[in-house]
Amino acid sequence: MKQTIGVTVNGRLYEEEVEPRILLSHFLRETIGLTGTHIGCVIGECGACSVLLDGKVVKSCLHFAVQADGREITTIEGLAKDGQLNPVQEAFVKNYAFQCGYCTPGMVMTSQALLQKNPNPSEEEIRKALAGNLCMCTGYVQIVDAVKEAAKGMKNG
Amino acid sequence: MAKFVGNRSRSKEGPRHVTGRGLFTDDFQLPGMLQAMILRSPHAHAKILSVDPSEALINPNVFAVITPDDVKKLTKPFKPGRYAAGLKRPIDEYAGAVDKVRYVGEPIGAVAAKDRGTAEDALELIQVEYEPLRPNVDVHEAIKPSSAALFDELGTNLAWTGSLQYGDIDAAFKSADRVVTEKLKIHRYSSTPLEPFNVIASYDAASKRLTVWVTAQVPEVIYDGLREALDLQDVRVIIPDVGGGFGQKIHLIRKYVVLVSLLAMKTGRPVKWIEDRSEHMMAGGHACAQEVEAEAAVKNDGTVLGLKFKEYDDVGGSISTLTIHFTNKLNNLSNTYKTPAIYMEGHAVVTNKCPVIPNRGIGKPGMCFIWERMMDRVAQALNLSSIEVRRKNLIQANEMPYSTISGNIYDSGDYPGLLKTLLEKIDYDKLREEQKKAREQGKLMGIGIVIGVEPGGRNAARDMAIFPEMKEPPGSGGVNGAKIKLEKNGTLMLHLGSPNCGQAHETTTAQVAADILGSTPDRFSTSIPFDSDLSSWGVAAANSGNNFHLYDIGAIHGAATKLRDKILKLAAFNLKVEPSELTIEDSVVKVPGAAAKQITFAELGRIAYNNQHLIPDDMEAGLEATHYYTFPFAKPNIVPGADRKVRAQFTFSAGAHAAIVEVDKNTGSVHVLRYLIVGDNGTVINPDVVNGQVYGSAAHGIAVALGEGFMYSPEGQPLTITYLDYGKCSAAETPRVEAVHQPSPSPFTSLGQKAAGEGAAIPSPAAIASAVEDALQPFGVKVCELPITPEAVWRLLNHNPEKERRTF
Amino acid sequence: MIPGSFEYFAPRSLPDAVKFLSEHKDDVKILSGGQSLLPLMKMRLSKPAYIVDIGRIPGLDTITQDGNNLIVGALVTHERIEYSDLLKARCPLLPQTATTIADVQVRNRGTFGGSVAHADPAGDWPAAVIALDAEIKVFGPSGERWVKCDDFFLGLLMSVLEPDEIVTAIKVPITGSDKTSYQKAAPRSSGFAVTGVAVRLAIDAAGTCSRAAIGITGVADKAYRPERTEQILAGKKLDGNLIEQAAMESTRNVEVIEDINGSSEYRAHLTHVYVARAIEEALSR
Repeated sequence: MKQTIGVTVNGRLYEEEVEPRILLSHFLRETIGLTGTHIGCVIGECGACSVLLDGKVVKSCLHFAVQADGREITTIEGLAKDGQLNPVQEAFVKNYAFQCGYCTPGMVMTSQALLQKNPNPSEEEIRKALAGNLCMCTGYVQIVDAVKEAAKGMKNG
Repeated sequence: MAKFVGNRSRSKEGPRHVTGRGLFTDDFQLPGMLQAMILRSPHAHAKILSVDPSEALINPNVFAVITPDDVKKLTKPFKPGRYAAGLKRPIDEYAGAVDKVRYVGEPIGAVAAKDRGTAEDALELIQVEYEPLRPNVDVHEAIKPSSAALFDELGTNLAWTGSLQYGDIDAAFKSADRVVTEKLKIHRYSSTPLEPFNVIASYDAASKRLTVWVTAQVPEVIYDGLREALDLQDVRVIIPDVGGGFGQKIHLIRKYVVLVSLLAMKTGRPVKWIEDRSEHMMAGGHACAQEVEAEAAVKNDGTVLGLKFKEYDDVGGSISTLTIHFTNKLNNLSNTYKTPAIYMEGHAVVTNKCPVIPNRGIGKPGMCFIWERMMDRVAQALNLSSIEVRRKNLIQANEMPYSTISGNIYDSGDYPGLLKTLLEKIDYDKLREEQKKAREQGKLMGIGIVIGVEPGGRNAARDMAIFPEMKEPPGSGGVNGAKIKLEKNGTLMLHLGSPNCGQAHETTTAQVAADILGSTPDRFSTSIPFDSDLSSWGVAAANSGNNFHLYDIGAIHGAATKLRDKILKLAAFNLKVEPSELTIEDSVVKVPGAAAKQITFAELGRIAYNNQHLIPDDMEAGLEATHYYTFPFAKPNIVPGADRKVRAQFTFSAGAHAAIVEVDKNTGSVHVLRYLIVGDNGTVINPDVVNGQVYGSAAHGIAVALGEGFMYSPEGQPLTITYLDYGKCSAAETPRVEAVHQPSPSPFTSLGQKAAGEGAAIPSPAAIASAVEDALQPFGVKVCELPITPEAVWRLLNHNPEKERRTF
Repeated sequence: MIPGSFEYFAPRSLPDAVKFLSEHKDDVKILSGGQSLLPLMKMRLSKPAYIVDIGRIPGLDTITQDGNNLIVGALVTHERIEYSDLLKARCPLLPQTATTIADVQVRNRGTFGGSVAHADPAGDWPAAVIALDAEIKVFGPSGERWVKCDDFFLGLLMSVLEPDEIVTAIKVPITGSDKTSYQKAAPRSSGFAVTGVAVRLAIDAAGTCSRAAIGITGVADKAYRPERTEQILAGKKLDGNLIEQAAMESTRNVEVIEDINGSSEYRAHLTHVYVARAIEEALSR
């Protein structure tokens, strides 16, 4: 039986009727049309679907939409303001911290969450924080470099 | 004067990817679109007795089911194609299994429903009856006469055998001081792109026009596949942003495009199919497991007179890519060495596992593994340093362009130079000292040094070399095009001839064109997605085969050059000067030193499209240019003759790799302390992009060597259908690869550029194997098999081979 | 990818939750963090017709001190345990174990109680719980009870829980001056343990180990206590030889599993290595 839920996404409240089995990732992509959050696996091991839920990074594919009733979510679409990239996004572009772009939204969200919690992470801390975000293209070097640069950028305001 | 080529340049693709505005196939919605699921075999080997969809169709939200009978009735099988040209009898291969299933996950039908959940529910209601047959998972068991044959038409699972010889191999072995032999094994693995297969099909029955949006690397495979299977004339193939290809999205995907198109035709609605990760792991395609027996005929001074190898390829349950891992060894058959005689023998064995596909490098990692393991083996047998043995046999820089015995022409390269720089960068002698000290402390440190050539630019006629029965080339050389248009407002629009999976095509072509046209990359946009209706594409339109650097750059280069001429002609007419008096700077055409004599791109645009009286009478209006590029130095040996010599590929990058590892004696785990590559990719257009390709391909090769891979049970059940089980590495497990560039530009390409896509995936497994073997040297063990898992190392250390094969 | 259909109930109290569970005993699953349940449902290996989401029940997410013990609510996430100052000070084995679980996204959602109740034979918490001699609080139709950890885990994904019972808290001791450590071998940083060893060593003033408590996961059909190993270490001064001797007994009488990550022979060997490593790491703290 469908349920009506109210979910705030990127600052905007969405009221929708959903089946309980609808995953949060599909809710974001199909119900409210924010396709930046990607799906790369089934058991929630690749991190492509990472979003912020009440400020903490989670895998939206391991979450039912109904569980998000009353909660606040930030997706990749919620970071840039009027096309102005935030420091993490800018660092990713500058450092070529992507190739095909499929893991990128999740990678950016997890990096964003990391820097909010730990503003000056070491290389080891960055790599551990990204352990739940798989990338098949880059070999991670430029991603780690981008996070380091974003940390510097955020420190300098 | 190159302003942009060779320098850093802001990514054009980046902004959309970091804001979630990439346009991937699953991001498209069409009105009335249905969602599909594929019906797959749970058995590794079975006869299909019956398929009953009636229970699934009771739900009115289930719109259609495609069964094997539908596939047989409504489609034609794919022709065997160039990789199966040597089959004794051509074998029909339909998009779905029709009488028999030959691997777990093989598609046998499909269902379309209102939403994805309903489609998945419906799948469970389709009743399928199978008669299980004995599965074949081991190559040597499979070729026994007592095994159940996968294809009754063949009567044996040894589907193809063939060999090639270049030079006088018998003489080489007769005059050898020693013959060094080794048995090597490589397992099944793949680059497992993060985005699985996605297809949307939409059919306009009245116009008989089929449009597909698909995650594909080679539009020709889809285009031809659809026309063949569905007997359609009017097919449009749209390829949006693709979330990684690596060779996965070339062949098998055509089956799914046909099945989804059938659903679209049957329902009269657009149909979308999104593959699940687990489906992709079991049925999306694997790189081939290869077992090789190699022999090298050597002189005591380390000269390799000849190389012989015999390989058994486990190609899985399809014949369509039968010889792909064997034939691609022609691309780097000589590696970086001048060995005058090589004999290669291939045996393609079909088994009840996922069919093989051309994963990153196809066959070339295997070839490089053979060479580089043998060079280490030769060094050990002759008591020489492995560096010296390599040096002894390397082709020298002053011998370039170099014709190899199999017909390749290496355009440029300084292999001794790459090796020299590599050894300097890692301070090799100091490392050996460190290793001595480490050994005294009981630590197992190892150094592996390898070198590998990276061929680029495909020749569509290459496979004729292994199939003497092929009379007509399936294609030859390569052809691909591009168009550049100067828009009315003075900006520039690129229309590329190939799809891309993240190799920064938009950024690099803008740099190339900006230099030629005297403009700046920020004035360029690229028309995306790839659209077969609009794109100037040919047989080389492929995000594969290391084609982009040659054909697409060549096409853009040619189109930009043509457009520049038109711009200068139109400008000269309007400025009342000669074209030769003009330069272009920052999108302004001017006479140097004469401030009044200039005209902007925007002004030229307005003239070209609007103002006939300002266009010279002998000039076509508009300002655009198309160029179809073919490699001008493709001859000789573009099509192999009786001597079977062939230009397997056209350009040759190279890399020298150093892997420094430490092995944990107690657990067998291998930790990569350092991984450095000195690479030659010719003229580097965008260093960040090339570095990215090097880091990514090296990281994958290292992970392949150290444990990621597919495994099957003795019953042919796939055991690795999640990334976790398969062993995919995150940033936490991946070493930081270092790349140093030492280019030898190609004298044959538009800008001297050579390939970078497959790159480091080719030598890296050999580098790791070499390093681990070096670390274990005090124990006198050899590393001949991949993957080098902790348990495998522990068993080597304890001389404790597994009692029986548990998995395959 | 899409689970089978189910009815979803999000009660606001434990009695309501238990009532619903009892009504649908035969076909119901409890949803806590969902990090273990959703993968099973998405692969359609689990198809419950009813889901009870206990995530909105108040009072299950606290970490409090109670005398010589700490009570960790079932809904406390792995992440909160990882960063809890109280636990770092009073029971550091818990934060140390938490930091090894999966990845940051899973730790932000996965719960201590949910994980323990799930009884994954390669889960990290069961090993720590055994090494701490923890007790698990269970609420059901007949009210509340405490279950000793040695009685809790029964087998592969099986615990003593009835379908209508909920884990509400876990009681762990303040470990004071005891030496603790969790060491885990996993091919991937966010992967399950091929072997995971949690130890708690009570070392007296004379340097003797008065008691060793050890929990091992990833090796058998459930996490277990290697009693023989504990006995060898008890009452002795721990030197390298003794530790090795004790470690070699840690898989005695255990049916060591075999899977794609290792044969039983290798896994047993790895366990011996990791038992020794966990003891040594604990002693070095």
